[in-house]
Amino acid sequence: MSNVVPRGVRAALSGISWPVYILLYTPLALVAYYSFAPAPNQLGHSLHGYGVLMRDGSVGAALRRSLILAFASAVVSTALGTLLGYGLSRFRVPNARGIAANIPSLIIYTPIIMPSLVFGISELIFFNFVHSYTGLLGAGLSTMVIAHITFQVPYIALTVFARLAGLDQNLFEASHDLYANGVKSFFFLTVPVVRPAIIGGFLLAITLSIDDFTISFFTAGPGSVTLPIYIYGAIARKGISPEINALGTLMIGTVMVLAIGQFAFTRIREGRAKLIPE
Amino acid sequence: MSATAQTAVQGEAKARSLRLWITAGPGLFWVVLFLLIPSAVLLGIGFFTADDYGTPVLPLTTTPFGQVAGFSPLGWDDGNIVILLRSLQQALVATLVSALLAYPIVFFIMTRAAAIRPLLLLLIILPSWTNQVVRTYAWLELMGPNAPLTWVAHALGIVPVHLGIAPGAFAVTTGLAYNYLPYMIVPLYASAERLDWTLVEAGRDLYAKGFGLFWHTVFPQTVPGLLSGVIFVAIPAFGDYVVPQLLGGDKELMIGSLVANQFTETPDWPYGAALTIIMLVFTGAGLVAFRLLTRKLGGADEATI
Repeated sequence: MSNVVPRGVRAALSGISWPVYILLYTPLALVAYYSFAPAPNQLGHSLHGYGVLMRDGSVGAALRRSLILAFASAVVSTALGTLLGYGLSRFRVPNARGIAANIPSLIIYTPIIMPSLVFGISELIFFNFVHSYTGLLGAGLSTMVIAHITFQVPYIALTVFARLAGLDQNLFEASHDLYANGVKSFFFLTVPVVRPAIIGGFLLAITLSIDDFTISFFTAGPGSVTLPIYIYGAIARKGISPEINALGTLMIGTVMVLAIGQFAFTRIREGRAKLIPE
Repeated sequence: MSATAQTAVQGEAKARSLRLWITAGPGLFWVVLFLLIPSAVLLGIGFFTADDYGTPVLPLTTTPFGQVAGFSPLGWDDGNIVILLRSLQQALVATLVSALLAYPIVFFIMTRAAAIRPLLLLLIILPSWTNQVVRTYAWLELMGPNAPLTWVAHALGIVPVHLGIAPGAFAVTTGLAYNYLPYMIVPLYASAERLDWTLVEAGRDLYAKGFGLFWHTVFPQTVPGLLSGVIFVAIPAFGDYVVPQLLGGDKELMIGSLVANQFTETPDWPYGAALTIIMLVFTGAGLVAFRLLTRKLGGADEATI
């Protein structure tokens, strides 16, 4: 197939692509390099930045909040999103045509399409109103968890839906013929089939949560500073500093290790699966 | 059909719709309650009057939209129009840069051995998994005052010696393109993977060469992926908040920061809500144009619900 591409073009493609690959990682590498500087923009090696980081209790607290936020929101959104994807793949809206039949998908795509700034500000105003009228949902970790669940649910629903859409519908008939009721066929047929999608969706939800800044920023309260908000505040206050570089390095490193580990893990599993005859 | 069979069918239909609401209901309800209703409230606020604290009060008015257009008690000012045009321009240039880089990279990956393609794709996506603040902040260290790229710019005389590339327009474009490049590459790669290479061979047999060959045989097949990529890059780049805040500074204000300021620094909720409406109108117009284009160019075969 791709042997159609002549050698000269291949060379040109490499010539453009490798510099872009390098450019993708240069800024991140520079963060790591500067994290060992004794002071901003000074050359030399020191663990000064990391030391400052360790002694700063607020960083540990922010890390703890980020993890609670990621896990709590991912657990709830995985449950809601899996059921949603399952429901939409199995059942249609009764007696609905045209726009009415598309209402569920319109609802699902809204959080994906909406600019995250609009998303965040909508939540800010809504929580503000709810809080001033009922005293509930004051800005803090709970409002952040709610907002994160909201943007994660559609991604999980779509992942699960995509997995189930390729499934032979006769399997459900078969499980029905074998006297499985709805609940039983959900747990013994649907769940095993979509398990990879659920696990993948859960990991995606955690990634989305850790990657988000804008929505977190507008739903956070004074007592719920997470890592990205902490970094943003620190840059606004004092600009570049070795301890922020150190923190950035740790965050970049964690993501790299997790991603490459996950990649290797799936490769190995795929490799093993190939050995087992079908 | 006998009466009992009919009731059975009706019962079946009822059970199915009940199951739909039990399974899909909670998730849909959640999104409606925590996103659709809040955004409807936000849009509604655009038609209220701001009190001294910037919170919305009655009576209903269109003053906020006048503010958006640049009218204030002091007269008319072109500031907002400039910001809107700047945001559009930044989004367009960032999208163009990503598309121009995405093509060579996608086909570079495609021409490598099948075994390493997933790894090469992963290496493109990987930086986007770190938090956006960290990613953007990293560019500040490359382009801020007294930073490596700034030294080069000083040597070339592009940037005055006491300034950095960031804050500035070029830094914002770079930051946006860097942030959203993977969102262009992934859909484009998906369409390139399904590419029918026999068409390319046929084109070559008909003596098409070089760019003409690419333009007539490869490019049309990648249009659906390209259009998805344009949407994934242009929409978030247009409304981006972090990149213009960190790399743009006050002189490169974009619509995202302008909106955010109305809810944080100097609150004026109705004005901010009216700005949001304008922002969504532009986003919506982009999406509609995208739908029409994909229909015309025969794309949109992605799996959708």
